[in-house]
Amino acid sequence: MKILLIEDDREAANYLIQALDEAGHVTHHAADGETGYAMASGMDYDVLIVDRMLPRRDGLSIVESLRAESDQTPVLILSALGEVDDRVTGLRAGGDDYLTKPYAFTELLARVEVLARRSSPTEAATNFQVGALTLDRLSRKVERDGETILLQPREFRLLEYLMKHAGQVVTRTMLLENVWDYHFDPQTNVIDVHMSRLRGKIDKGHAQPLLHTIRGAGYMIRE
Amino acid sequence: MNSILRLWQTTTVRLTALFILIFVLASIGLLAFIAYQSSIVIQQNQIRDIEREIRQLQRTEDRRGIRAVAVSVQALSNRPGPGIYYLGDDVGRMLVGNVSDFPASVLADEGIHSFDYERAHAFSGDDADQSPEGRSGYALVESVLLKSGLRLVVGRDIVERRSFTAIIFQGFFFGVVGIVVFSTLAGGLTAMRVLKRIDGITATSTKIMSGNLSERVSVTRRNDEFDRLATSLNAMLDRIEQLMQGLKEVTDNIAHDLKTPLTRLRNKAEAAAREGVSAEERQKALETTIEESDQLIRTFNALLMIARVEAGTPSGALTNINISEVVSDVADLYAPVAEDAGMILETSVPEGIMLHANRELIGQALVNLVENAIKYAAVPGQETAGITLGLRETDERVIIEVADSGPGIPERDREHVVERFVRLEKSRTEPGSGLGLSLVSAVAQLHKGAFRIEDNGPGVRAIIELSKSA
Repeated sequence: MKILLIEDDREAANYLIQALDEAGHVTHHAADGETGYAMASGMDYDVLIVDRMLPRRDGLSIVESLRAESDQTPVLILSALGEVDDRVTGLRAGGDDYLTKPYAFTELLARVEVLARRSSPTEAATNFQVGALTLDRLSRKVERDGETILLQPREFRLLEYLMKHAGQVVTRTMLLENVWDYHFDPQTNVIDVHMSRLRGKIDKGHAQPLLHTIRGAGYMIRE
Repeated sequence: MNSILRLWQTTTVRLTALFILIFVLASIGLLAFIAYQSSIVIQQNQIRDIEREIRQLQRTEDRRGIRAVAVSVQALSNRPGPGIYYLGDDVGRMLVGNVSDFPASVLADEGIHSFDYERAHAFSGDDADQSPEGRSGYALVESVLLKSGLRLVVGRDIVERRSFTAIIFQGFFFGVVGIVVFSTLAGGLTAMRVLKRIDGITATSTKIMSGNLSERVSVTRRNDEFDRLATSLNAMLDRIEQLMQGLKEVTDNIAHDLKTPLTRLRNKAEAAAREGVSAEERQKALETTIEESDQLIRTFNALLMIARVEAGTPSGALTNINISEVVSDVADLYAPVAEDAGMILETSVPEGIMLHANRELIGQALVNLVENAIKYAAVPGQETAGITLGLRETDERVIIEVADSGPGIPERDREHVVERFVRLEKSRTEPGSGLGLSLVSAVAQLHKGAFRIEDNGPGVRAIIELSKSA
C-alpha cells in the first residue's frame, strides 16, 4: 500500500515510516504543509496521514483543498486536539478518520488499513461471508454451516463491522466508535466482554475459530 | 483643582450641567411666552376700561350737558393713579385734564394711540421719585370728538404694565440662579457619593490585581444599584477564587498522582535497560512500560477533558439528543460487563426523553458512574448485587440515577469524592485516575445541572440532574 505521511515532527515521522515499512507499506514523507499538499495532489496514494498542525500550511486546509479538487483519497487526520468538537471539525473538513496523539502504532495501522480498503466493493455489499459464516444485511440473518445464529441487534452490528473488515485488524476503540458511536477510551474491558459473548455464539462448538484476538491490537475475523 | 476636574469627569456632574442648561432654556421660552400673552391681555383690559369711561362721559354729555362732562373729567383727573384725561377745544387748548402735551395726531384723529410723554407728577405714590426717569411715562389713549365739538382723550399710563413684566423677569432671574446653584450642589454631592463608591470598587480591584484574591467589594444595606453591582462582582470573584483554588489543587495533585506513575515508569525502563536482563524479562518490562504510559495518557486526557468541560464548551456542541437512547446504549454496553462481575444491571428508562445536551459527554459521565458501580459495588460472597440505571424527567429537569447495592460511601466522604484525584483509601490499589466523578460533576455543571451522591441504603445512589433549559 502506498501511503503519504505529512508530519513535521521528524522523530515521530521516522518511527512511523519504519513501522509502516515493517507492516509492508511504502511510505512517502512530507515535513510541511505546502510540500505535503504538492505531493498529495501530484501523485496517487492509497491513504494520506495528515498531521493537523503543520508549518506553512494547516493540515485541515490541505484536506479541504484536495476534496475541492474531488480527490477522494482516504485521509487519516492526526491531532493533539482530541475533543469531540475538534474531531467534528476534522471530519467536516473532509477527513475520513481522526486519531488523537499520543496513539498506539497498532491503532494507527489498523485504521490506515481499514481506510485503504474503504473504497472497495465490500463497503456496499449486502452479504458478507467468512468461511462458513454468512451475514445478510437485508434480512439481518446470520448463519454458520447453515445453522441460524440468533444475535442481539448490537451483536449483529458488531459482527457486521468485523465481517465488513474481514482479514483486517479492528481495534477496540474502532469498535466502540463504529458500533456504539462513542469516542472515548474505555477504562474497563467492556469491548472484550462483548467480543467474548459474540465469540460464544459464533465459534462455540466449531473446531475452527473465526474470531481472533490480535494481541496488543484488537480483533480480526478470518478463516 | 484636581478633584474638581475629577468631579467634572463624572457622568452625574455632566448630566447635571446638561440638565441645568436645558432647564434654563426651557424657562426662558416659557416666561417669554407668558409675558407676551399677559401683556396682550392687560392691554385689552385697559382698552376696554378706557372705552367704558368714554361711553360714560358721552352719556353724561347727552343727559346733562358739556358742563357736567368737564366736572367729571376734572374729578377723574384729580384722582391718583395711572389715568390720563384731557378735555380741550377744537384749537387744542386744554380746558380740564391732567395731561396736555399730546402728539398732534392724538388731537387730530379719533382712535387709539400710544406714545411717550412726561408726567406732571409721579403717580407711583412715591413722591420723592421726581427724577426724569420717574416722570417719563408711556401712554395708551383713545381720542374722541364729542357732540359739542370738544376733544375728549381718555387713557392709561402703562408703565405700570411694563413694571409687571419686569417683575416676571426678575422672578425668572432669581429662579434660574436658584436652580443653577441648587442643581450644581445636588449634582456635585451625588457625583461625590457615586465617586466614593466607585473608588471603593477600584481600590478593591487594585488589591485583587496585586494578588490578594480574598478581597471583596463592600456591600451596604441600602441595596441600591451599587450594592447589586458589588454583589455580582463579589460572586464573580468567588468563582474566580474557586477556580484558582481548583487549579492549585490540580497542580498539587498532578505533582502527586502523576509523578508517582512517572517514577514507576522510569524505574521499569531503567531496570529493563540494565545489563544481564534476559530477553523475556526485558520484553515483559517493556510491555508494562507501555501499559503504564497508556494509563498516564488516560489520566492526562481525563484532566484535559475536565478542564475543557469546566471552561464551558461552545454551545454548538450541545444538540437535541434522545437522552433515553443514550442511557439505554450505556446500559446495553455495560450489562454484559456487570454480569461478568456477578452483578445485574437493570434499567428503568422511559422512551423518548429529549434534552439539549452533549451526547458524548453525557455518555462518558454515565460510563464513569456505571464503571464505578461495577468496580466498587461488588460484595464478595453476595451473588445478586444489583445496579439500577434510571432516567426520569420533571417539568424542568431530567434526572439520571445510577444506584447500586454495594458497600456505599461513608457520609463524610460523599462530597469529597467529586474532587479531582480523590480516591478513597480502599480503592487506592485499584486501577483508575480518581478523575471519574470530577468529570461527571463538570458535565452536570456544563448542562446547568448538578451531581450528587446519596445513600441508597445500602449502596450508592449517584444522581445527575440536568436542566432542560441548558
